[in-house]
Parts: sequence; structure tokens; C-alpha cells
Amino acid sequence: MTGLILENVEKFYGSACAVQDVNLHLPEGKLVCFLGPSGCGKTTLLRMIAGLETLSGGEIRLDGEDIGRTPAHLRNFGMVFQSLALFPHMTVGENIAYPLKLRGVSKAEQQTRVVELLELIQLQAMIDRPVAKLSGGQRQRVAIARAIASRPKILLLDEPLSALDAKLRESMQVEIRQLQQRLNITTIMVTHDQREAMTMADIVVVLGEHKVQQVGTPIEIYRHPANEFVADFIGSGNIFPATALGDGKVSLPGGDALQVPICSSIEAGQKVKMLIRPEDLQLSAPQATAGNRLLGKVTFVRDIGATIETTVECSGVTFTALSTPCQGIGLGIGHPVSVTLPSEACRVLGA
Amino acid sequence: MSTLTNKRMALLPGDTGKFAGILSGVILLLAVLPILTMIVMSFSGASNLDFPPSSYSLQWYKAAWHTFVSPDASDVLSLGQAMATSLLVSCLTMVFATLIAVPAAYALTRCEFRGKAVALQLMSLPLVFPMVVLGLALLLVFDSLPFHLTTSRLVIAHVILALPFVVKNCTAAMLSIGNEVEEAARMLGASPLRAIVDVVVPLMKSGILAGMLLAFIVSFNEFTVTYFLYTIDVMTVPIWMYSRTVSSLDPTVFSFAVLIVLIDFVLIWALEKLVGEGGVSF
Repeated sequence: MTGLILENVEKFYGSACAVQDVNLHLPEGKLVCFLGPSGCGKTTLLRMIAGLETLSGGEIRLDGEDIGRTPAHLRNFGMVFQSLALFPHMTVGENIAYPLKLRGVSKAEQQTRVVELLELIQLQAMIDRPVAKLSGGQRQRVAIARAIASRPKILLLDEPLSALDAKLRESMQVEIRQLQQRLNITTIMVTHDQREAMTMADIVVVLGEHKVQQVGTPIEIYRHPANEFVADFIGSGNIFPATALGDGKVSLPGGDALQVPICSSIEAGQKVKMLIRPEDLQLSAPQATAGNRLLGKVTFVRDIGATIETTVECSGVTFTALSTPCQGIGLGIGHPVSVTLPSEACRVLGA
Repeated sequence: MSTLTNKRMALLPGDTGKFAGILSGVILLLAVLPILTMIVMSFSGASNLDFPPSSYSLQWYKAAWHTFVSPDASDVLSLGQAMATSLLVSCLTMVFATLIAVPAAYALTRCEFRGKAVALQLMSLPLVFPMVVLGLALLLVFDSLPFHLTTSRLVIAHVILALPFVVKNCTAAMLSIGNEVEEAARMLGASPLRAIVDVVVPLMKSGILAGMLLAFIVSFNEFTVTYFLYTIDVMTVPIWMYSRTVSSLDPTVFSFAVLIVLIDFVLIWALEKLVGEGGVSF
């Protein structure tokens, strides 16, 4: 099988677990994001793939070959570090040429490749600048150019954008993604920013509590979170308890019944967790309860201009609903309101 | 009102008051007084050590030059020979101390091992150890060896004395180098050793240079320990000068001293230059 395969990979520091039970198949040419809160083991996992960290157990295979014990400098993987780790005693050109120099590439060829890469990142004029004289975004690009100079098999990015300000970060996200698609290089990126993961990734691997929680496309992860952890970590969501009634119905703590997509594995009487995204909740002027339309009371309104977040208490559950100003129905704290939870937007979370 | 404010505001933090000015003047004077005396005396025209000299001339410089080339009747070695030994010992000390200190600094910052705290303490022991005891101890060790060492035993002793300074400077330089640049070099295809040579050492450069200079200065000026270890035909400049003052005290010594102070000045100036660039710790 081609691509990068991780089998039962685990890492322990003494008895403390950093990450365990990792089984992944990362196909060629895709951008994969390791997404998770800090301390979930995502960076450790990336460093193990890089060869900077030894495996406590398991196997890493690249195109069928076991590379789990190959030292970092023999793997030919490019890596962009969080601090970028450019060499301050070298110029931009020397930084990019360094991996080529190590591989014994002739001076002339080094020069050609450096110029080609600088063109790619649009910093042709900077070749003889010391890296200290570059702006944050330029350094970022130089770090990427250096990482791909030796045409590595895999590109690893360890939160490479965390040092940039919000605006630059957004544009770099697009730039890196376009570059990755143009070069068609298998890329693994670590991030704790779910927006970044959604923007850039073909496949998102959600990590939490030292384990892989879910693997899927960004939309799959958002629309069909596998469990409560993923539902809670990705986007904002209303997660609430309910009791299954059978027949595709659940009852809320307040006694109201909801029609939800049928989940065959759940028996009547079982307690479950439900998810509904704030943007799927519909608010309207108070009407009698009917179907998935419940009656509630507004407890808080947060108008942040572009969107209005309304907190509603309804059948013993606190929901947050997101609406745009033009949908606004002029709600204030204490007002009664009708809340519709469209059945297809309700999700029963596993385990 | 405004004059009152002015008076009150006269001493902001960082401003020097009159008292502080006088105090620093006195301290500075105390520091340079011996050197000034020495310089004045070296230009003395008299043949005794009266201060201030009754007349001025360059005669002692002439005498010094003469001694530099060929030994006086009272001396075994010429200053030139002593100077050659001193420079050889200082340069060797500098090289060996650096060769030991750079890997040591790397290990002390990057690696975790048992007894690291003890190793750090031991490293700076020569700074607080009484020189006389150290000199005596080294003499006993060297004399118990089955073979005879001359210049090299001075080098060994000086390396021991210079090592804390060099290690300290290199460690300080190491601390500012993140793990990531080294890892980056490895990811780009450099073996761990190559990464150190290509990335870590160049980034340590100013610390290493500062350490090298300090090692040179320490070795060049060392007297106490060397006094136990010199032999009649291998002596350093400080020993030579001391032995000369014992046999015949004349202002020639001051002419030599001026020369040595000049050398030290140049070295310390170079060191200060490096401080601006990287950082040096004594």
C-alpha cells in the first residue's frame, strides 16, 4: 500500500502516556491535519513520524517500508518548525541550499534550485539577505522553501503559523494549501486551530486524550462527529442529554419529545447525548409546541454585529442559537420564543 | 516654585549625584594608580626606584630591549625566551581548553545525566580553590609520573585554571540556541554530529571566542600555580619578571610591565568587542 501507514503507534514517557493506539493511513498527495487541544499528543505523533522521537511501540511504514527506526536525517522528510528554526548565521539562499549541500549537489545545481524555489515563494530579491532582516511572513515562506528544497517525500508542519498575526495567518493558510496542491506533496500539519484545519486539510485527524478520536474530511468531522469529544472540540455545538423513546424519538430532560434521525443501535430507555449546531436552530415568535418546535425563554442575547447569539432555555436544556441580523426577531432577555430543532440537524452521539 | 521643583527633581534614578561622581572617580583612580605609577617609573631617568623619578629618559626601555634579546648576567633566560614560552603555553591552553569546553558545554545544556550538578560544581572548583594548594598538588602529581614533562605540565595546569571561564562562556552561548535549529538541520539531512558542526558551533561562535580570549588572558597572566611548576629553562613571563625583581630590582621591570599591560589591554578590548556581539561572562 502506498502512502504513510501508522500501526499501533504509541509513545510513553516513563509511565505517562503521550499518545497510544494510533492507526492511520495517510494517502499520497493529501494534506492531513492533526487537530486537537494542547497536550493531546499531536506534536509527539508528528515528531515520531519525523524521526525526532523514538517509538515506544508500533510501526511506521512508508510505501511498504518500515521507517520507524530510521534516523531523522535519513528519512528525507521536510519539516517546518513552530519557531521556523531558520539558521540565523546563513543568508536566505544559504538556508535553502543547506539540504542540497548536505546531499552533495553541485554548486551550480544548488543555485538553480534556490532560484527556482525563491521564485515559487516570490522572494527572488531576498537571496542574499540575512534571515533576521525578513518579515514574519517572508521567514515563513523561506522555512517552507528550505523544507521542500530536497524534494522530500513528506512535508511536516508543526503549527507553522502560530507566530503570525491573524490576518497574515489566514493568507498564509491559503498560500500553503495552494503550494501543497501544486507540488502534490503529502503533507501533515499539526494545529489546534480548527478553522485552520477546516481551511487547509483534505483529511482531519482529531486527537484527544492521547488517542485518535475521529478521522475524516473536514465536513464529515463537522457534520458527523463520532463522539462527544469531537462534537465539543470542533465548532461550537449544543450538546444535551436525552432519553431514547424508540421510533426515532427522544425525550428532553424537560419532557418534550423530539423526532431525530433513527439510530438503530440505540434501544428505548437508553440515555444518549445529542448535538445540534447553533446555526441549525431556528427561532420564531412564540407558538404552540408542535413536532420539533418547542417553547422556550431567552436568557441572554449577544449581538456581535455579523451574527446574533441567542441563549434560550427550553425543556430543561440551554441552547445557543446563531442567527444573522436580518433574521432577527427583536428578542430580549426574558422573552418567550419558539425554538425549532430540525430533525435532520439533530445528531445522536455515539458512546 | 520651579526652582524648588528643579532641586527636588535633580536626582532621578539613573542620574549621578555629586557624591556618586566623586566615589566613582576615586574607585577608578585606585584601579589605574598602579598602572600609572608603573608607566611613570618606566620612563625614569634615575637608576633607583625613587618615586616620582628625578628625571625622565628612555634608558630602561633600551635596557629592556637588550634583555629581551640576550639574557643579563643575572638571568638564566632572556625575556624573549620567556615570552616565547608564555605565548606557546597560552595558545596551547586556549586551544585545548576550547576543545574540551565546547563539547562539555553542549553536554551540560543538552543532555540530562546523573551527577550533572556535581559536574557543574567540579568544573568551577578551580575558581575558588587556593592557588598555592593547587600548585603544590599538581607538582606532587607531575613529579610522581614516570616521565618528565616541562612545557606540557604548564599547559595542563593552565587548562585546569582556564576551563571554568571557557565552559561558562560556551554554556551561556549554548543556552540561547534552541533545540529546534539543531533538529531542523537533522530534518534537512545532517547527521547529529554534522548538525552540531554546521549549526550549533557557528551560533556559539561569539561565546567560544570570548572563552578563548579569556583562556589566553588567564594563562598569560598566571603566576601562583606556574611558580610551582616551572623549570629553570622553561619559564613564563610573570615568573621571569618575578625572578628578575628578586635578583636585581631596577626600572627595567616596569618597561616590561608596560609591554604586558599593553598586550592585556588589546586582549580585553577584543573581549569587549565580543561582548557587544554575543555576551561574555567572567
